[in-house]
This record gives sequence, structure tokens and C-alpha cells, in this order.
Amino acid sequence: MTVRVVVNGRAHELDVPSHALLLDVLRDRLDLKGAKRSCDAQVCGACTVLVDGLAVSACTYLAVEADGRSVQTVEGLASDGGLGPIQQAFLDCGAVQCGFCTSGMLLTTKALLDDSPMAGREDVLHYLRGSLCRCTGYRKILDAIDTAAHARVAPAVDDTPSPFRVVGRSIPRVDGGEKVTGRARYVTDAVLPGMAHAKVLRCPYPHARVRRVDATRARAHPGVLAVLAGADLTWCDPYFGPAFRDRPILALDVARYEGDPVAAVVAVDEATAAEALALIDVDYAGLPAVITLEEALAPGAPLVHTGQPLAGHFADLSTLKPEPGTNVCHRFRYARGDVDRALAGAQVVVEDTFLFPRVQHYAMEPHAALAAWDETGGLAVWASTQNPYSVRVELAKMFDAPLSKIRIVVPHLGGGFGSKTYAKLEPLAAALAHAAGRPVRLAASVTEAFQTVRRCSSRVTVRAGFARDGTLVAVDCRADFDVGAYADIGPRVVQKATYTATGPYRVAHLALDARAVYTNTTPGGAFRGFGVPQLAWALESLMDAAADRLGRDPVDLRRQNLLAHGEEFAPGDTPIDGKLEESLSRASEAIQWTSALAAGRGRGVAAMLKASIAPSVSEAIVRLHADGSVTVLASTVEMGQGARTALAQIAAEVLAVPVARVTVAAPDTAITPYDQTTSSSRSTTMTGRAVMEAAEDVREQLFRVTTTHTGVATRDLRLDDGAVVAGKQRLGYPQVLALRFGMSGGELIGRGIVAPGRTAAPLGGSTPFWEMAVGAAEISVDEETGAIRVERYVSVADVGRAINPRILEGQDEGAVVQGLGHTLLEEMVYGDGHLLNGTLLVYRVPRAEDVPDGLACRFVENADGCGPFGAKGAGEGSLIPVSPAIANALARLAGVRMRELPLTPERVWRALRAR
Amino acid sequence: MLRPFDLHRPGTVEEACDLLARLGEDAAAYAGGTELLLLMKEGLLRPRHLVDVKRLGLDTIGDGDGRVVIGATVTHRAVERARLVHERAPIVASVARHVANVRVRNVGTVGGNLAFADPHSDLATLFVALDATVDLVSPRGRRTLPLDEFVRGPWDTARAPDELLTSVTIPPRPGPTAAAYVKFGLHERPALGIAVVLTFDAHGDARAPDRHARVSDARVAIGCVNPRPARAAGAEVRLRGCALTGLEDVIAEAAARAAEASDPAGDMHGSADYKREMVAVFTRRALRVAAARARSAITGEREALAPHYPHAVIA
Ligand SMILES: Cc1cc2nc3c(=O)[nH]c(=O)nc-3n(C[C@H](O)[C@H](O)[C@H](O)COP(=O)(O)OP(=O)(O)OC[C@H]3O[C@@H](n4cnc5c(N)ncnc54)[C@H](O)[C@@H]3O)c2cc1C
Ligand code: FES
Ligand code: FES
Repeated sequence: MTVRVVVNGRAHELDVPSHALLLDVLRDRLDLKGAKRSCDAQVCGACTVLVDGLAVSACTYLAVEADGRSVQTVEGLASDGGLGPIQQAFLDCGAVQCGFCTSGMLLTTKALLDDSPMAGREDVLHYLRGSLCRCTGYRKILDAIDTAAHARVAPAVDDTPSPFRVVGRSIPRVDGGEKVTGRARYVTDAVLPGMAHAKVLRCPYPHARVRRVDATRARAHPGVLAVLAGADLTWCDPYFGPAFRDRPILALDVARYEGDPVAAVVAVDEATAAEALALIDVDYAGLPAVITLEEALAPGAPLVHTGQPLAGHFADLSTLKPEPGTNVCHRFRYARGDVDRALAGAQVVVEDTFLFPRVQHYAMEPHAALAAWDETGGLAVWASTQNPYSVRVELAKMFDAPLSKIRIVVPHLGGGFGSKTYAKLEPLAAALAHAAGRPVRLAASVTEAFQTVRRCSSRVTVRAGFARDGTLVAVDCRADFDVGAYADIGPRVVQKATYTATGPYRVAHLALDARAVYTNTTPGGAFRGFGVPQLAWALESLMDAAADRLGRDPVDLRRQNLLAHGEEFAPGDTPIDGKLEESLSRASEAIQWTSALAAGRGRGVAAMLKASIAPSVSEAIVRLHADGSVTVLASTVEMGQGARTALAQIAAEVLAVPVARVTVAAPDTAITPYDQTTSSSRSTTMTGRAVMEAAEDVREQLFRVTTTHTGVATRDLRLDDGAVVAGKQRLGYPQVLALRFGMSGGELIGRGIVAPGRTAAPLGGSTPFWEMAVGAAEISVDEETGAIRVERYVSVADVGRAINPRILEGQDEGAVVQGLGHTLLEEMVYGDGHLLNGTLLVYRVPRAEDVPDGLACRFVENADGCGPFGAKGAGEGSLIPVSPAIANALARLAGVRMRELPLTPERVWRALRAR
Repeated sequence: MLRPFDLHRPGTVEEACDLLARLGEDAAAYAGGTELLLLMKEGLLRPRHLVDVKRLGLDTIGDGDGRVVIGATVTHRAVERARLVHERAPIVASVARHVANVRVRNVGTVGGNLAFADPHSDLATLFVALDATVDLVSPRGRRTLPLDEFVRGPWDTARAPDELLTSVTIPPRPGPTAAAYVKFGLHERPALGIAVVLTFDAHGDARAPDRHARVSDARVAIGCVNPRPARAAGAEVRLRGCALTGLEDVIAEAAARAAEASDPAGDMHGSADYKREMVAVFTRRALRVAAARARSAITGEREALAPHYPHAVIA
């Protein structure tokens, strides 16, 4: 059908089939990639565009409906090259993180303000009901809407005054401009010449033998370029996985969970590939499945994996201890002192078991990969990954290629939260591109993301013993984690998190025993907090139970037992590098812990301590160009957390140039140097340190050249505003470079390497820093329905130094709200081995209306971190205390102790009734 | 991603019905598409023909003898904003404002909502309480059905495949009326919806009840928890004849009766006993809101802000 449509003021006449969706026509025909596909179900708003001024979900709207109408997309919001007022407000207020929701948010805001220019908070929340953001926690989006509506200036951030020029200042994020204009490119926005599209056939059963895959009809289907099943993967090593290489690209003989990839089709377009999937005949034989921990651990339980799994590619995971003949793929034990004696001698012993659900990351951008092989046997993959270098190792091994032949490029990432660590779709995309002989894009749907990775659920039993004076003397912790059908990084999650099961407290006697258990469910992997939320949920709930029994105030009891600054966490391990006491005091003051409560309100606190990844390696290159501008090469992935901005600030500070003169390159393993991973809250600290060193290396080179040519001693030189200052003389960087190279070309290249090695610490490496945070909640509960409302929430994180306070605050607001998700709402529910809520229509993540008005994220800044300018990691910590703080508040308010998350209204209602 | 289909765009109801009759099983009426396209994307429905019903002149809100007649293709947004609806049946406008999200309201239609008969529809519950009827037209002619005969069960209506839903009619209330709709739930669609409509005997000013007013007619409809929205007769009986000033004394009992009368099934939205208890809780709350609205209509004072309950919407 012919569609005449005006898009962003330009008239188009397009011939489109009646079944074409507006989103696809805008993205693929008009190359307007700002509108994104996320939920694909009218829930999230990522695809929002305005049709005749009204917001619609372009993902579920026929393009032919736009005939005779005018469509506005994010690309049409900027006027005359400048940003529109809404875009500017989003940028100024820090309302943009990964950017995947941003164009939808901007257009929704436009529609709202056109509808009701004086919209109050209630109207705004009502309008945003269908607009999800998984990164920001909505606070800054609400600020931005307010700012745009009333032509205000962005609200100030509560920060410590910075002694530095660039570091410590809330400059707008460096990738903000491209994100508010829809120009930021994500994997699915990339197009390669000759690119084909893939779709995956997934197992419909929780556990089945795959007896035969017959793809004859699919192969013959017009438009199909290749079909692969497990049996076709004879030319490569089909297994991958960071802990165990237990996951085949496509099921070989057994499919181990509902959603396990069994076959895949490459075709000229996605629709053809999808049609061809229906033509593949698979002969399955159902196998008994284990879905819960109880089922998986029962004697004689059906095994998810038989045979010894192959070790993965991490040296420090060679210590993994599977228990053959069971579903336990790793057991971790650690003990100190004599826990049984200490517990026997304790005045008060509290014990309980706590359950943490399977939850979905729901990064708004589902996983995607675009793979292409070249004539030389080289493989390039544009991937939505948080750690391109891990993916590279994995692919090199599978395809038996030198590392140098494998190139992983990471454009913008639409959120990660751990879901995009380690290889996910990349091996399959690469295999398909090989089979099809051309570039192949494999883009998961949100439902497929639910079938790709999730948080490891857990059952944690803790016994904690206290002396009469409140000293925590012993902790005995037994934790079982459900890691799903493939280990992914689950065993590492289990080991690392359990190692810190005692939280931020000094404990002389401890016994920790944890198991990673396979089940026939979506694989469990890394998720913000890396297992610590599961353990803190138990320990921090019990701390309050103990305070009750001891007749002590929960804040005091915690304070008494906190590890002190400089105290070793465990013999040989990193000393505590922050002031927990200060965080606790700040949080309890901010929530007005000791002041009277309004009727129906309750308060609770919780604290946490988390290690970062160790050993931890980052390298960086800083290039100072002939005109004095700077390029930073580093492989930290910008996924919304603001890493690129932080790195630019660090380089700009050291080299005394404006941030606008610094460009941070996107990760590309062919160009940007090694970086272990963008996870574990390590980027600003570790990659930041490498960048700082590299910039300092450039500075030394500038000094050397200046000294050689001026004779002024290096110690008398300093950098200032793009120039080396030698006494009264100022040599601009271009001048210095010209002196060095004898012409106006050449560049100075600085290198930075951060590589703390292995240590004597119990896990083989010592965390470079500790992440520490305290959360305090004030809640009310609707006693008749059991629905909890969080009235106020304060998070205090010890970050050493905030490189960019506004971005950091946004990180922590997002972390708290993500924590509210698993605390109050989220859980992947299985029935008969099938996931019942694998879409956003029924898997409920927090909306703007769920965010407490009184949400405050604060920071302790003592410049005591090992990162640049005293910074240390942040971004995960604030999520962790949320559940226990809220449950503790509920216990104090209503006298019920909750043991299972999420605290849905029905669960709380049952607990209230059982009082 | 959608599979190919032919889109037909008839200009009259007759043509549309003819097309539906001719194409039979292979065709589906298509209004806003907010439900239909979703199912088609999922592959749960695979019609080869869509018959667009948006060009049949069914997109107006009309006034017939004190009734409000809402065309089938009127969007939720249009209902929310229509002056006539605000004047005659303000509760309908207020519920329309809370259906789904802004994008679905901009595109989704009243007829699509009712014809789809999702068990978690706000409109169906409300319209049952308001004694609304739907008009259906087919090559065999036109018929009018009360809403609770039209909706037969989950995704099941009395509509024949070649019948079009053309309008919904909301009759005038026999006296001054106060209404409330409350819904509750965590997910996109409500786990529970309760509509209460209290009509009072009129003395003097017919638009507002007076201090001595009694409930002449009570409607309590429970939605989402039963296979179809249903009136709670026992609750209604308990309320009828009750003085406005004495309503508070019977609200709990009426609500308990409403809960007894419902027979929920456990699912993602909650277990059966929880849902039944929530019927009682929210029937009480809805009745209190309606009573407060009636009182403020008398005193002329602005209604106190309805309390805010977490995960609940009061319309
Ligand atoms: C994310 C989301 C959230 C929602 N939340 C709510 C909610 O909170 N409360 C609520 O009540 N509803 C909710 N809904 C449902 C929403 O109200 C409906 O999607 C919408 O009203 C359907 O209208 P439509 O015009 O898009 O219907 P369509 O999708 O076009 O049609 C729906 C069905 O009705 C048939 N049909 C349409 N028009 C006619 C007609 N005139 N005659 C005969 N048959 C017809 C179609 O063949 C189809 O089977 C939600 C929907 C979504 C997607
Ligand atoms: S609303 Fe269209 S992608 Fe989520
Ligand atoms: S910034 Fe909103 S989803 Fe990432």
C-alpha cells in the first residue's frame, strides 16, 4: 500500500506492505533508529513515537495507519541543530543513562507537556505508567520533566566541593548528546552490506533428549540461507562457558531448559527466518526435569548434566569443585576458628532460612550480536557485551583462531546489569555467519532474554551467635544457589558472594558452605551485586532478629560489630578501605532513626560489603594529538553507568584540557587495549587508574620534551590549560609536539597498566577495593492488602571520591529502584518447568510511580579508594541493602519477619494474618 | 513481526459485515489493534484478512434520550475527554483515564476492549454495573444485548463471527448517583476491578442526593476474579434502602457478601483466597469512596482526596 506520511516535517511516499509495523518502517526504511524495540508489547515505551501529536507504540502499530498523518520521532525534536528544551533538560538533569529508553521518554514527555503544560507530579506519574527505564530509577527523569515543564534549571546535586578542575564535577555525560538525539548506535542499529538475519528455535520442554532435527523443509524455504542444528557443529568446538564449558551453541543431544537453543535459521530477513523455524522438525523425547533446589538436590534426582564438565577459561576457576553424580556443579567451603564451639558458647543464637527468587535483569536492550567473517579467516562481532575480551577468548577457543583474528566491537549498550557478561549469543551468531557465508544479525526478543540469563536464586540458612554484650562471635552459613541449566558464571557468583557472607562485620568464627546447583531452568549468571544480595538478605534480616533478642537497637548493634577502617577482612585479604561507621551514621541520621515515627510507619536499616573482581587487569592508552586534543583508548563498556564520561574527566584532569577535547573510543578489541570486564563496579577504579597512568605517562613525555628544549627542570614544570608551564614560559601542547617531532605531526602515546596479581587471600586474589553501602527505609503497609509502600529510602555509599556526582547519584538511584524490584515485585515464576511470565505484560518491573518520593542517595567521600583521586567502585552496593532494610522496617512496624522475596502484597498479607 | 495479511477498509457497517461473513474464519475485525496485533505478533492468531472498522462512522459519542452512546471505535482517550461523558457518566471518563497506558488509550477502542473480552477488562466490569448494552450489527440485522449477556466468559462473547459491535449505550440513572471504580494489582492488567454505583431517591434537586437520601438502587460489579464480570446481588440487596448516613454500617456486610459471591481461581495475580479477601477489602473501599462522593455532592464541598492505596487505582 502507498503511505503518504510526513515524518519530522518531511513528506515521504512509501510503498509498504499492510503488515509492516511503523517501528520497522521508521528504522529500516527511513533509517530513523532512535525508536527502539524492547518489550514488543506496548508496556515499555521504548518505541514511542508521536502520530499527529499522540504517543503510540510503534512496535504494535501498522505503518499504513500513518497514511495522511504526521509522525514525530526523537530525530525531529532538535531544532536548528540545537537541542530542544526537553532534550536539554534530560541532559542537564542526568536523566539519561544507557539511553535505550530515552527517545521514548523524550517523546512521551513532549506529548505530556503538549497535553497539559502545567502537569503536576500525579499527572506525570500517570502519563509515565507505560514508560519503563531500568537504569535511572526515574528520579532524574521526573526532575527533567519538571525542569522542562517549568523552564527551571536542573536541581543541584548534594556533593562535596571538589578541589579539582574537572574531577568531582557533575558535567553532563559525554555521550548524552547522541543519546538525546537518537543518534547513539546500539548493536541492532548497525547494518552491514549483505547482512542476513537469524532466528533461533528453542526447546519447548524443560528437559528433553533431542533425537533428530530435520531441517530439510526449512532449508528449501525460499529466502533461507542456512540452517544449523547441533549436529552441524562438527567444524568447531561447540562448547562455551566461563566457569565450565558446559553450554553448547545448539543442543547436541539434550536440551536442558525451556528455551535452550536447538536450531537456528539464517534468512534474508527476520520474517523469513521466523517462518522457516516452523518448518524444522525436531523429534524430542521428554526427560524428567528438576526445577527447584529441593528437586535438584534430592537423592537420585535426574541429572541436568551427566559426565564431568570441562573447565572454563579462567585460571582462578580451576579450583571449581563439582560433585560428580549430583546436580552440584560447585561446592565452596571456607572456615575460620571454631564455629560450633563459639555458637555453643554464644549468649544469643539466631537462625533462619531465607529465599531469594529468580529475577530477570531486563536490560531494556535484549541481547544482540552481528557477526561477520572476512576472507582471511578473521571474525568480527558487534556485540552487546559487557566484556569484549572474555567473548574474544571464548570465540578464539571455539573457532581455533588466534586472538588477533577475532575482533569484538561494542557500540552503545542498552543496559547490562550483569546480563551481558561473558559470551551469550555471540558464539551462535558467529557459527551462523560462517554457515551463511555472510554477515548475520541475531537479535533476541525480551522473551528470549528471559531464556538467556537470570539472577541465581538461593536458599540461605544462617546461624549467628552473639555474646551478651552484642559482639557477633560466630556465623555458620549454608547457601544453595540455583544456577540453572548451564553454569555460566554461577559458580563464581556462589563462591565470591559466600566468601563475604559475614557482610561488613568482624567475625572470629565462621563456617561457610555453599553449593551451586544445576536445575532445568534459564541459566543463572551475574546480576548486579553478584550473589551478595542473596546473602545480605539473610544476614541483615538476622542482624535485626538478633537485635530484638538482645534488646539492642539495630543500628547500635551493627555499629558495634562493623569492621574498622584498615582492618583486614580476612587474613591476607584487603584491609577495609572505607569508613562503614560513617555510612551507617549518615544513613541513620538521614532517615531520622531516633526521631518519633508517624503512625503506621516503620523504619529499618541494612548494611553490606562487597568485593570486586580479583585479580583485575586493565590497560589503557592515551594519545595526545598534534592539536592538543586527546584520545583515550580503553575497553570499558559504556552501558549507562557513565564510564566514558568518568574516563574523559580523569584524562582531562591529568592533562589539563577541557573534557570537550577528550574523545573516549568505543571498545574494539582490534584497537582498544585489554580490559578484563565491565562489571564488579570496577571501571572507574581500575580502568580509570589505567587511564590516569596513561595520561600521566603522556604528561611525563611532555615534561621530558620541554626539559630538553628549555632546560627547565621537570620538577619545575606543570600543566595548565593545554600548555606546559615552565616558569614564565607557556608552551602549548602543539608547540611541545612540534619540538618533539620537528614538524606539526606525530603524537605522544601514554600507556597505563593496572594488574594487581594473585595474593595469599583465601580466593587467590585480593579485591582491589571494597564496595560498602548502608540503606535505610521508612515504610508503611496497607494492612488489609499487604501492600508495602516505601515512603522514604536513604542510601549511603562509601565511594572514596565521586568523579561525577550527578552520574553517580543516578547510578545509585537506579540501583535502589532495581532493588525495590526484587524486593517488592519481581520473580520469574515457573509452572511445570515452564516459565509463566517471560514477558513484560506479566513480569512487573518498577515504574516511576513505585519510586519513593523521599529517595535520597548520598556518598561518603574520604578519598580513601585505590582508584583515581581516591575513588572506588560504586553502582552495585546500593541495591544490596534494599530488601533487608525494607523487611526489617516491616518487622519493626508490624511484627512479622519475612523470609521469602519478593514481598508481594499477598505474601505480606499472609504473614500479617498469621501473626 | 507480523505475518502478511490483506487489509480491507470498508466504508460502511454493511460492507464490513459482508466482508466478515464472506471471509469467515480467515478474517478478524481490526480497530486499534492493541490486542489483535499483539496476538498476531505472538503467532497466537493468524488471520489472513483484517477488516478495518475505523472508517464506518462508529467513532462518535452521541446523546440519545439521556443515554450516552459510545461508538465502538471511540478510543479510551476520546472517552476520557468527552464533555458528554463527563456530564452524564463521569465515572466512565474517569475509568477511561486509567485503562492501560497512554499509548494504548490513544489507539485502543472501547469496542475492541469489549469484543476482546479479556477477563481483566475495566470497562466490562464498569459497564455491567451501569446496565450498559451493546449494539451488534450483522447481515441479519441489529440486536441489542445487555453487557452481562454479551460477555460470556474469558475471551468469549455472544458476538457472531460476522457481527460487528457498533456501540455501547449507557442508560441514565433513575436518580442522583454516586459511583466509584477501584482496581488493584501488580501487573499490566488489573487483578481485581470493582465498580459500585449507588443511586439515591431524589427529593428536590434531582442531580444531587440530599441529607435524608436513601439508596434506591445499588450496583456492585466484580471484575477480573471471576470468568466474567458479575454483579454481586447479595451486596446490592444489602445496600438498597439504606440511608446515606447509615451506609457505613452496612458496607462491611455488603462487601462480605460480594466476596462470598465470587469464585476466583488462583493464578499469577494471586491465590483464590487472597483474591476473595481482596474483593471484600476493595468493595468496602469502593463503597466508601462512592458514599463520600454522594455526601460531597450534597454539601457541595469538594470531595476530599480519595485515599491512596499502594497498587490500587481509584477512579
Ligand atoms: C499493555 C496493555 C495494558 C492494558 N491494560 C488494560 C487495563 O488496565 N484495563 C483494561 O480494561 N484494558 C486494558 N488493556 C486492553 C485495552 O483496553 C485494549 O487493548 C483495547 O481497548 C482494545 O481495543 P483495540 O481497538 O485496540 O482492539 P483490537 O485489538 O483492534 O481488537 C480487539 C479484538 O476485538 C475485535 N474487535 C475490535 N473491534 C470490534 C468491533 N467493532 N466489532 C467486533 N469485534 C471487534 C477484534 O477482532 C479483536 O479480536 C490493555 C492492553 C494492553 C496492550
Ligand atoms: S512498547 Fe513498544 S517496544 Fe515496548
Ligand atoms: S537509561 Fe532508561 S533504560 Fe537505560
